[in-house]
Amino acid sequence: MQEVSSTSRRQLLCALRNVSKRFGNIQACQGIDLELFTGEVVAVVGENGAGKSTVSKCLYGLYSPSEGHVEFDGKPVEFRGPSDGENAGIVMIPQELDLFPELSVVENIWMGLERPRRWFGAFDAGAMEKRARELLHRLGLFVDVNTPAKLLSAANGKLVEVARALNANARVIIMDEPTASLTEREVFNLFSVVRSLKRSNVAVLYITHRLDEVFEVCDRAVVLRDGRMISDRPTSDETVSGLVRKMVGRPVEQLFVRHPHEIGDVVLEVEGLGSGSAFQDVSFRLHEGEILGISGLIGAGRSEIAETLFGLRDRTAGTVRLNGEISNISSVQGAFRHGIGMVPEERRTLGLILPFSVKHNVTFSSLLKFMRSIFIDTSAEDKFAENAAKEVTIVGAGLDDPVSALSGGNQQKVVVAKALARNPKILILDEPTRGVDIGAKSEIYRIIDGLAKQGHAVLMISSELNEILAMCDRTLVMREGRLVRSFDRKDFSPDVIGSAAAGVTVDSHA
Amino acid sequence: MTENRSEKAWTGASWGNPFGKLGRTTVLAIIFIFQIILTSVLVPGYFSVWGLLDATRAFVEVGFISLAMTLIIITGGIDLSVGALLALVSVTIGFSYQAGLPLGAASLLGVIVGVAGGTLNGLVTTYFRLHPLVVTLGTFALFRGIAFAVSDADAVSNFPQWFSVFGQYKFGGMVPAQLVVLVICAVIFWLLLSKTPFGRYVYAIGHNATASRFSGVATQKVTVAVYAIMGLMVGLAGLVHTSRIFSARGNAGFGLELVAIAIVVLGGARILGGSGTIWGTVMGLLILSYLQDGLSFAGVRGDIGLTIIGCALILGVFLNENIQKFRK
Repeated sequence: MQEVSSTSRRQLLCALRNVSKRFGNIQACQGIDLELFTGEVVAVVGENGAGKSTVSKCLYGLYSPSEGHVEFDGKPVEFRGPSDGENAGIVMIPQELDLFPELSVVENIWMGLERPRRWFGAFDAGAMEKRARELLHRLGLFVDVNTPAKLLSAANGKLVEVARALNANARVIIMDEPTASLTEREVFNLFSVVRSLKRSNVAVLYITHRLDEVFEVCDRAVVLRDGRMISDRPTSDETVSGLVRKMVGRPVEQLFVRHPHEIGDVVLEVEGLGSGSAFQDVSFRLHEGEILGISGLIGAGRSEIAETLFGLRDRTAGTVRLNGEISNISSVQGAFRHGIGMVPEERRTLGLILPFSVKHNVTFSSLLKFMRSIFIDTSAEDKFAENAAKEVTIVGAGLDDPVSALSGGNQQKVVVAKALARNPKILILDEPTRGVDIGAKSEIYRIIDGLAKQGHAVLMISSELNEILAMCDRTLVMREGRLVRSFDRKDFSPDVIGSAAAGVTVDSHA
Repeated sequence: MTENRSEKAWTGASWGNPFGKLGRTTVLAIIFIFQIILTSVLVPGYFSVWGLLDATRAFVEVGFISLAMTLIIITGGIDLSVGALLALVSVTIGFSYQAGLPLGAASLLGVIVGVAGGTLNGLVTTYFRLHPLVVTLGTFALFRGIAFAVSDADAVSNFPQWFSVFGQYKFGGMVPAQLVVLVICAVIFWLLLSKTPFGRYVYAIGHNATASRFSGVATQKVTVAVYAIMGLMVGLAGLVHTSRIFSARGNAGFGLELVAIAIVVLGGARILGGSGTIWGTVMGLLILSYLQDGLSFAGVRGDIGLTIIGCALILGVFLNENIQKFRK
């Protein structure tokens, strides 16, 4: 119904007509027919590797389609690069911030665009600033436009990118995972910006992993799987589970896996822990068989706690007790000796040696287990890697292929397998499912649940509230480098945890 | 060939070759054989087993250094100080002997100075987080300066006859002693690099030092060890050099760093780190050294050598960076 009304009232802006893109013998997408109307927000969902980014790159001109063509304003167009797309009015806002950190907000908003001039061709700085200020105010951002971009938060940086897109007279804005590094409240703010874009007749192509956002702001949802378009329907006709089914291509019984597990003795006791200005005065206890969450906003000092416990960062205050004994871990090797393992936040830069094979990544932290005299016993290593890969169900590439050939979700499983290879008593997980598709997510939850059931202690840092609510026995909430609250599972509710993290008080009796 | 397989896995996507299914090392080996045949045909009287073996005496020293340079370049580092350190080693041996130390002890002291120099490079690089290019450029001047200061532009050459054993002895009158040592060292380096955790760490640091640290690799210790190993090899090379030319002087080993880097890069190690093999380096050593040997046998002026090194270095870098593009 909604679609009918939108087509009749709004005009067709641009379209992909039977677009396919091949890279060598890999078919990245095939037969994509996608129409974008003015004033419409279209979600593109799909697992990693489903072709979401290929489709959007074909649209804004980074890739030229192998077959089919792009249509803009009813005419076939051929973009020879992103700047052609931008001139036509299609602007991409990538997932990671794409600003020049040392340059001011104004400079960023005018980057690559025709600037107002004065005498002798000098830039009209006043006009540039005025325009930048106008655009930002429209988006509800009131910062000094001469601030260097590096001082902006991730959320405000996003808004500056939107402002730049508007400045380029964008009629189509492609947003790739715009909320990936935003907090709940910033997400809320971004949504209102998206809605205002919609009101001013801009079309938004919204690529996301978070299905709740699809229903929050999008009019239509396009599902991609294995490079093909599986469905294209108004969100009012969709359900979360229906979308998931289409994305995965098989029914997903349950995303979160949680069995009852017994909570045993204290294995880790942290008291008054601090590290420079990153965080101070953090105290908590972690028990055998417990999944303890650390919730909070990005930059609240959570990863820094993980790094300190893992021996990567200097402890400047407080004590850490392992099984009741004070320990002074000052290196990763020390953490390993005490049975602590970690899955770091960034798998590509911190978790993996990308050109190494899957096998060599899996065994990388535990090579000394496979020694024959002073050499690596490769047959023992192969056998171990094979079992480990089976256990965490790594699919998509052979054990001898470079790990970079795997999708994000499978790469993450490799990082988990590497940490598990040392059989850690305490496992620290930092954003274990960020940027991971649903299939891999559910697999990772199954692994976490299994660990807790076997009596391992799990410390899980996560910005995804759902994950914390579903998986943890207890959660700590961090804000601005301090531990502000702690909740038992029976007291869990998204409102209280969310507001504790954001530092606002709400009536908790609701 | 297990070596080939693991080579592919470690160096992953950054590794390719221009000649279809053959590995780069194999291609270099074929080029080397072709080169020897060509030189033998073009230059009458060049080919003889005795002659080819004798020629190795000229390049065994740079061979020692190239082996260790392979490790350093794989970690993403570089060592410009090796030629200067070799001079310092040589001068240490000569002048401590002249000052009254027994020659055996003086030789040992020379090797120790080599290890100390290499370790210094490693420590300054890792603990002050400085780029090895700058650090070793500094020690390049430092070591050479000390060598010149100690020797005072003088040379020591009154060694006893037995000292020639390191650089002039030949097994069966054919095989130079230092060549045998080089072959043993090459095998040890190959085992170290491709069969031990240490070798795996060396590659990993070259690809991503931070991820290696997060994975529990003592990256600083491994890096210092790699530079210390270089020091040891420079010590050995310095000993052989002093014995071969039977003289210790401050200008020994001039330009050696350049030759060693050219050899390693021609052998397939990317200068950005993460890739490279010992056998590739060995092939690079043979090709470059016999090219120079053939040319000098043919009577080409000696200073063409530097030109060749320069070309080889650029060609090597070009191939390493572009092979993967050709493949695509």
